[in-house]
Amino acid sequence: MSPDLLTALIVGAGLFGIGLYGALSQTNLVMIMMGVELILAGALVNLVAFWRFLHPESYAGQMFVLIVMTVMAVEMAVGFGVAIARFRARGSVEMEEARELKG
Amino acid sequence: MAVITLQTFFIALFGIAALWFGVVVFRTSSMMRSALALLFSQTALGAMFLAMQAEFLGVLQIMMMATEMSIMAIFMVMFMMDPGGLGEMDMTHQKRLSIAAGVIGALAVSGVALFAHWGPTATVAPAAAEQIRGLGTELLGRSMIIFETAGVTILTAMIAATAVAMPVLQRKKTS
Repeated sequence: MSPDLLTALIVGAGLFGIGLYGALSQTNLVMIMMGVELILAGALVNLVAFWRFLHPESYAGQMFVLIVMTVMAVEMAVGFGVAIARFRARGSVEMEEARELKG
Repeated sequence: MAVITLQTFFIALFGIAALWFGVVVFRTSSMMRSALALLFSQTALGAMFLAMQAEFLGVLQIMMMATEMSIMAIFMVMFMMDPGGLGEMDMTHQKRLSIAAGVIGALAVSGVALFAHWGPTATVAPAAAEQIRGLGTELLGRSMIIFETAGVTILTAMIAATAVAMPVLQRKKTS
């Protein structure tokens, strides 16, 4: 396997791991969103690497990258909307205090 | 035998920078520094895309993330109880479980990357102008529905986010 592809995939795996840690360990909504951003960044690296080193002739790979970037933007927009609503209602975006839906 | 080229060196360099700043995001107690570290991590990724000869995607990544992370930094200052991190507040929970999940997840994905058979790899990438033309043809050709769906999804998310963020009293008055 090409060392370039391997390097990119390992970086993607590392970003996924760091993001997963962040999304699970943080109590603040904005910090959780940062973790999710890192997970999606890991997916981005993999998609670009797959396009560049496996199928550079097919631009569907780049199309997938644009879709993941869209998902990142949507996640940010909706996340901040929820954060504003939560802050107005409770004065905090700490997820430890968000227990309304707990059974 | 695989040859370590200048391209490999730069991909690894920017990759390590992205990982390092990714770790800094959750290690610093200052929320401003967290947002800036995420900005640097995403910018390093953009530089990595440039090193992989995906010029359009690299520039797009840097431009998008610079804007996105600046907005995130503003929200950090607005919402955090201690945005400067002077109080050294611990805002984490289930730390051991999270570390275990992160390490296992990263190892599992690395294992797939190492042991899967990826087939022959391409050595030459299309030129930048050819990439733009190819992507444009793809977006306006067979991927048009997907592209349009992405646009509509962003619009829906913007409307939904605004609706959710509107004060309750104002919503009652308008309805």
